[in-house]
Amino acid sequence: MADTHSVIGTKNKKGQTFTDTWKMMNEAPRTPSFYTGSEVIKEALRRASCDVMIAYPITPQSEAAALIGELFAEGYIGDYFRGESEFAVMSQCAGAAFGGARVFTTTAGPGTMRAMENFPMWSGARLPIQMIVTCRGINSPLSIQPDTLEIAYLLNTGMLVWHAETAQDFFDWILMGYMVSEEPDVHLPLALCCDGFFVTHTKDVVNLTPADMCLPPYDPYRSPVPCMDMECPPVRMMRDPFVMKSNYISYATHASWQQEVWAAVERSRKHTIKWLNGLIETENGDAEVLIVASGTAVSQGREAIRLLEDEGIRCGLVKIKVLRPWPGEELREATKNAKHIIVPEFNVTGWLAKELKASLPRNERVHAGPHVCGGMTMPPEIIVSEIKTLLGMHTVSMASRG
Amino acid sequence: MIQYRVLPGPEHFLPPSAASMGICLPNPGEGHINGVIVPEEKAYEEAAKQFLMAKVPTLFPGPLVLWAWNEKAAKKATAIRHLYNTLKECVQPGQTPMLIPMPDYRPKYPKINPEVEINPNHPNLTIWHNKIDCCMFIGVHCHQANLSLKIIRGGTACYTMAMCAQAGHEDAMLSFRDASVEKIMKLAEWVKKLKGTVQPQLTSAKSRASN
Amino acid sequence: MSKERIKISEDLYDIMPSDYQDLVKSATYGKEDRGWKDIGNSKELIEQHSLCAGCPESMAFRYILASLPNPEDTVMVGSTGCTSLVFPMVAVHNIHSLFGNQNAIASGLKRALSVRFPGRTKDVVVLAGDGATVDIGLDMTLQAWFRQEKFTTICFDNELYANTGGQESGLMQKGFVAKMAPVGKLFDKVRLPEIARESGCHYVVQCTVSKPSLVEKVIKNAVMIAREIGPTYLQLYTPCILEIGKNSMEGLQEMRDSEKPTERFAYKEYISEPAKQLLAEMAAKAQEKKAAAKQLAAQGA
Repeated sequence: MADTHSVIGTKNKKGQTFTDTWKMMNEAPRTPSFYTGSEVIKEALRRASCDVMIAYPITPQSEAAALIGELFAEGYIGDYFRGESEFAVMSQCAGAAFGGARVFTTTAGPGTMRAMENFPMWSGARLPIQMIVTCRGINSPLSIQPDTLEIAYLLNTGMLVWHAETAQDFFDWILMGYMVSEEPDVHLPLALCCDGFFVTHTKDVVNLTPADMCLPPYDPYRSPVPCMDMECPPVRMMRDPFVMKSNYISYATHASWQQEVWAAVERSRKHTIKWLNGLIETENGDAEVLIVASGTAVSQGREAIRLLEDEGIRCGLVKIKVLRPWPGEELREATKNAKHIIVPEFNVTGWLAKELKASLPRNERVHAGPHVCGGMTMPPEIIVSEIKTLLGMHTVSMASRG
Repeated sequence: MIQYRVLPGPEHFLPPSAASMGICLPNPGEGHINGVIVPEEKAYEEAAKQFLMAKVPTLFPGPLVLWAWNEKAAKKATAIRHLYNTLKECVQPGQTPMLIPMPDYRPKYPKINPEVEINPNHPNLTIWHNKIDCCMFIGVHCHQANLSLKIIRGGTACYTMAMCAQAGHEDAMLSFRDASVEKIMKLAEWVKKLKGTVQPQLTSAKSRASN
Repeated sequence: MSKERIKISEDLYDIMPSDYQDLVKSATYGKEDRGWKDIGNSKELIEQHSLCAGCPESMAFRYILASLPNPEDTVMVGSTGCTSLVFPMVAVHNIHSLFGNQNAIASGLKRALSVRFPGRTKDVVVLAGDGATVDIGLDMTLQAWFRQEKFTTICFDNELYANTGGQESGLMQKGFVAKMAPVGKLFDKVRLPEIARESGCHYVVQCTVSKPSLVEKVIKNAVMIAREIGPTYLQLYTPCILEIGKNSMEGLQEMRDSEKPTERFAYKEYISEPAKQLLAEMAAKAQEKKAAAKQLAAQGA
């Protein structure tokens, strides 16, 4: 039987040493490397002791998914294949996770939507699958360009949802993500999202952990539900039976099951705070004007703050790293002195602003915007302009740049 | 805001999960009582007291210990038997310790026999039928244990405890974590140690269990 | 899991429900020549179920579970439908996740088990209804075959959606009047056995479950060929007596009537060349073993 701790210090078949993840992520030397986001995903997976990866082409995650295929060919991944559609791929991932494997996949936009039926099933079945979501447009007419609308649909699936800003976030969070989602009291799938192209297709300096160190393997026998491999009890076991067909207070069982999934999301808080050093990050937190954002909107916000500083306007920033569990407490604390809360987003509905309005006191302070979508960039100047308008200051129209 | 506490029910038509009310699980070396983190020693003492106070203190071993699927499991089963025997030795007349298995998690048709087993889909049937006022889950998969604990809290007055091999259960009124043979044996020691020092709550237990 | 590991902890044996005591004492896990004849002499791997009285699916379940060559190392995958009400009662690990994704689940599962248990037998067997296999799940059914995934797909063909109340399905006969086919089904029964052959299945059989010995033979062949060579497909007629207006006692006769040479469930079989070779080898080995046993018996005498 696999025992996660007893293998630490031993080598895998590629000569990598199974390393205590805390040491690997926080104490091992890092090598600065100039990589695209897709290559960073590959490098993280090289160190992830992943058993099964299932791929399907859809822009902008195709390159990452194909690069992981190369890792499989090199012997770093247990098994790898191309499924026939995202719906099928997510079910194949589920099958592998039911069988006790550490599983990885990537998807984007319409693929996320096609696969959607699987996600509440994953979380209901307590399958700690990791899925990279490289967000892109989902509506007709087709767009392959960055747009974060699909995240809104993931927020109520019972999955953990994290939103990476940079390739460095990506590298660290892929590895840390397994540590959080495989905790027995959590044991939930993780949707690790980023804004397509902006993160996947741009090159950045990323500090990598040593390539000869890898995560300890997943131990399916610590799972809160029996692993389907005929190696553990009970032998008469269906994952998952129709509890609603049990005839006595059966609906309460289903209701309790759902509550348990969301309880597990809550329990991930403690572990996530430990690994990610908090669910949010704050800069100039005492400023009266605060930009609150997730994903690459954070980077644009940072630029806007620099521009505003040049004009003598002090503005702070809250980077939301984790959307599920929702950092409500942290956000209430971080925004308690703010008079204006600006929420720039790469989607048309402004789901992040809605979440914030639902959990912050005096929510008239929340300003939903600026919004861009369908692949438009978000020049920092439009954030600056939005803030200046809010403050009643004169601002130059950006319309001529549209 | 009033701090939520995990207390015997009947709590609600659909009680919230304790985690959603801000109750956190203990770290290694700790336990929790009513959702408050305590040193593990305190949890032993309280668990032993609860057993000795109850009219029908009951152990619910689950599949992870009922089946000898590895050496550790079989040893835990032996320890659980020892704990049960200790309870029998240490209670006073009128107290009836029970040992009832949760052999699996399947919904059963038309319903389970509450005299021989407990089932996570309607654990309250077994609690009600046997008038169980204090119980401990050992060797039940965490997900299924939480379903059971929450349904019991929702509809019965039973005091629930968990001897969990993983991170513990905040949906129980008292929980250990990282359960091992040694911890089960130590709990039995505590029961022995407190024998005769705790007054059984026989009358109130009856009315509590019939709720 | 070896048969030896399916055992109850000694110190808690007495409190286990008798179902499990019986399972450990007399189920046929690990029995080499297990088969339908064990039914009645041993504890079956299926406990009670909630199917309708006389449902041929329940017969099929019993024969199949009696015939799996290695139940102690078999994981089954089901789908939504009447079968999913039986699966909680089955004493091998099994999975239901969504309607129609059974062959995708099985693909991931089989690969995970191969990665985790290299060099060990871990059979995966899919068992789903015709709606799941041929309609909503057809894509994943076929793609698993195209990819040569090494597991068996069993379709319980009752020619309609039974669990939702008798709607038209792709495997329904042309002209049959049903819910959602108010003027009768307008197109032919989908020819999945032929499609299975063309899609790369190495062993394809269509039959009814009227004869337990036949079910045993095709199950064993299908599982062994899937284990060693590639995908296999069984389409078993398990009529929904409720929806075709029959009584509880009439299921067996309905199957017998439908398996006549001119009827739509006449026995149909396809075996690929590599599979034929494997079956021949298996037959030769069995023959050898028989001869050796005979010789041993003769020496003993």
